[in-house]
Amino acid sequence: MRKVRTRWRIVILLALLALVATACSEGDSVDVGDETTTTEAATQTTAAPGETTEAPTETTAPPESGAQVLIAAQGSEPDQLDPHMTSAYASFQVLENVYDTLVQPAADLSMEPALAESWEISDDNLTWTFQLRDGVKWHNGRDFVAGDVVYSFERIIAEGLNGWRFGAVDTITAPDDSTVVITLTQPSPNLLVSIAGFKGMAIIPEEIVTDGTIGTNPIGTGPFRFVSQSPDEGIVLEKNPDYWRASEGLPELDGIRFVQIPDAGTKLTALRTGEVHWIDAVPPQDIESLGAEDGITVGRVPGGDYHYFALNQNRAPFDDVRVRQAIAHAINREEIAEAAQFGAATANQTAIPASNVAWYYDYAPFGSGDTATAQALLDEAGVSGLTIDFLVTSDFPETVTQAQVIAAELAAVGITVEITDVDFSTWLDLQGNGEFDAFMLSWIGNIDPDDFYYAQHHSTGGFNFQGYANAEVDSLLDAARVETDQAARKALYDEAAQMIVDDASYIYLYNPDNINAWRDEVGGYATRGDNAIRFEETTLN
Amino acid sequence: MSGFLVRRILQMFLALLGVSIVVFALMHLVPGDPVRVALGTRFDQDLYDALRERVGLDKPLIEQYLSWLGNAITGDLGVSFRNGQPVTTLILERLPATITLALAALFIALIVALPAGIISAVRSGSGLDYTVSAASQVGISMPDFWAGVMYILLFSLALGWLPSSGFTPFGDGPVEWARHLVLPALTIGLISGSIITRFVRSAVLEALNQDYVLTARAKGLTEWQIVRRHVLPNAWIPIVTVVGLQLGFLLGGVVVVEVIFAWPGLGRLALTAVKDRDFTVLQGAVLYIAFMFLAINLVVDIIYARLDPRVRVS
Repeated sequence: MRKVRTRWRIVILLALLALVATACSEGDSVDVGDETTTTEAATQTTAAPGETTEAPTETTAPPESGAQVLIAAQGSEPDQLDPHMTSAYASFQVLENVYDTLVQPAADLSMEPALAESWEISDDNLTWTFQLRDGVKWHNGRDFVAGDVVYSFERIIAEGLNGWRFGAVDTITAPDDSTVVITLTQPSPNLLVSIAGFKGMAIIPEEIVTDGTIGTNPIGTGPFRFVSQSPDEGIVLEKNPDYWRASEGLPELDGIRFVQIPDAGTKLTALRTGEVHWIDAVPPQDIESLGAEDGITVGRVPGGDYHYFALNQNRAPFDDVRVRQAIAHAINREEIAEAAQFGAATANQTAIPASNVAWYYDYAPFGSGDTATAQALLDEAGVSGLTIDFLVTSDFPETVTQAQVIAAELAAVGITVEITDVDFSTWLDLQGNGEFDAFMLSWIGNIDPDDFYYAQHHSTGGFNFQGYANAEVDSLLDAARVETDQAARKALYDEAAQMIVDDASYIYLYNPDNINAWRDEVGGYATRGDNAIRFEETTLN
Repeated sequence: MSGFLVRRILQMFLALLGVSIVVFALMHLVPGDPVRVALGTRFDQDLYDALRERVGLDKPLIEQYLSWLGNAITGDLGVSFRNGQPVTTLILERLPATITLALAALFIALIVALPAGIISAVRSGSGLDYTVSAASQVGISMPDFWAGVMYILLFSLALGWLPSSGFTPFGDGPVEWARHLVLPALTIGLISGSIITRFVRSAVLEALNQDYVLTARAKGLTEWQIVRRHVLPNAWIPIVTVVGLQLGFLLGGVVVVEVIFAWPGLGRLALTAVKDRDFTVLQGAVLYIAFMFLAINLVVDIIYARLDPRVRVS
């Protein structure tokens, strides 16, 4: 009898434990409920201001069934939603659809009007006057004014990650509500790209900074409004009925839900089964098979990113240009691109891809796996039995693959490559402290040649970790920065690029393709050269 | 009993304090700087200093730890370095998914392990026993990242029965909730179940070899009566121990399975925090996991005393 009772007590205890656990989980559902309340409160604020002509009541409810909500899968999680403070591409995928910039890159990467309808440049090239679009409203209903632009730029300069882009800017003022005037200390032909090339330069309303909600509840002027974010649902956006292209019927979608699927294989499966409509990247080895499947489109365009590695010129023997050139000759860029990207890339010995028509410079002085030239250069420099400590990070797995291929290729000229594979935070530490013989990474999202070359190769450049110093390159880059004649500017950059490549400051490898994939229900979407993810013209059938 | 409880709870807090010190020290010893990660490749000394100051990383380590501890005692685990969200919120909003998966996996594990373990012990040496042993060996050897991918390929892609990823809260629809839960719970449950099966088998086998079982047989009880009345009550202690360990492990989040199935649990939160060197989030997550382990240990000890009157809780 006693044993039976004991057993029942265990059952009760276990049941209690289960109850406690369930109670915990139910308590959390209440928390989730609170979030919804916050969202509703925010939406109510949206409707509150009297000047809102169209009270967006029909969209305050979560998208109903039958509503056209695109489900977009991202491979990584946005770290935060403050466009001025994040450097995560996953955050920008979302924010691209929430915020606007003063002007914006068009599909061909030329700069087109956005919040500014037009702009004029003074004869001395030092004053830029922007005429702002009329009738633009923030997602909270307030009218967008020139003061918002001034505020946003001042915030970026004071505390954002991209303040350095305003290097040539002297003053930013708003003489009236629809005009912004920017004065410069020196002519800056790439000003538009600098201050509006991507959503890190987004125009934001001051109130969400003051109340501290910018990181979690962004309010912009873009085609979609932020609704909510949770680990369960992902990030939910809804149509902005007051969007400044609403007269064109944009955006077409009722909403977007960004879900985060970290495993690439699961993400592909989710696209194939229709759980999601769009995915942000395709593993290179799956591009061919996926593209051949019915019902799925793979969007693929040559991208503006470039992969490279750099040798530490503060350390012997890499201070000898012949050693660097030998390595540049000995590697086979096609082989490296094939191994890392399964051919979804274009080998390149300079930084700027052929697709960037305005600035591409066709220059390729090095061989491809040319071990004879490489050996001759090494002999000339009197270097043998060289070992390279090669810094890579498995957080960007292609750098590991590439280093392995390079190690095999350099073995042919008697160079031993020791691969140091660390996580990205450690990588950044080691790079910052100059603790490497070579490091490898990629640069993303550049448009103007100043972005491609200045910070990386000017002797005072902020990202010149390899220790490159060439007075001629410095003066060319300085001159090109202020040259307003397009042809003359291009000539200066071509000359600088030639020196940078010849000196092997960076050893350039290839430009990877930008790749997205989507189901046939999705229309009006195109993969872009700058890898910006824009759904404003996208439809769902 | 109450004296025992008070002592155990005090011990628990001491252990948590120790864990927090070790974690804090370790995080600051490993290379990698959260502010550098936040800045990405675009490094700038002034910006770096300003950010460090904003998140309080410029202060001496002892001061950082003590101020964190002071807040932690009042339930405030600080805010994430990366996005300023309260750590408590970040952990709490991932608990429903974590607990759901842990309990579902344990449920599957027990459904498999208890009958299989008992039967294979009672029929020890039979073909059935060998089959169970072989199956549990396969279950233990099968890595979760492989099993998960196989289930996705079979049940999501080939058959189209179940979704491959995500979590739907129970309140949003029990059917969708269950459909999303099946594959991740199965992946972990079968592995856990295989481990528990072996413990159940050996515990029952040991009890079966006791003299009192011989006596029971001698007085004419049937085999199943013996198992129910004499064997199982004596086999519970090792079983409860291993089940407690498994539950503690599952409640801490299962990183690999959460990544494969895009399950919004604690494991992924901790993984991202490690990558970003988001010290406060990681500290909070580790503290929570340690707390779960200690709490379950305590419950297991209490259950021991109930199971076996010879175990004295004082």
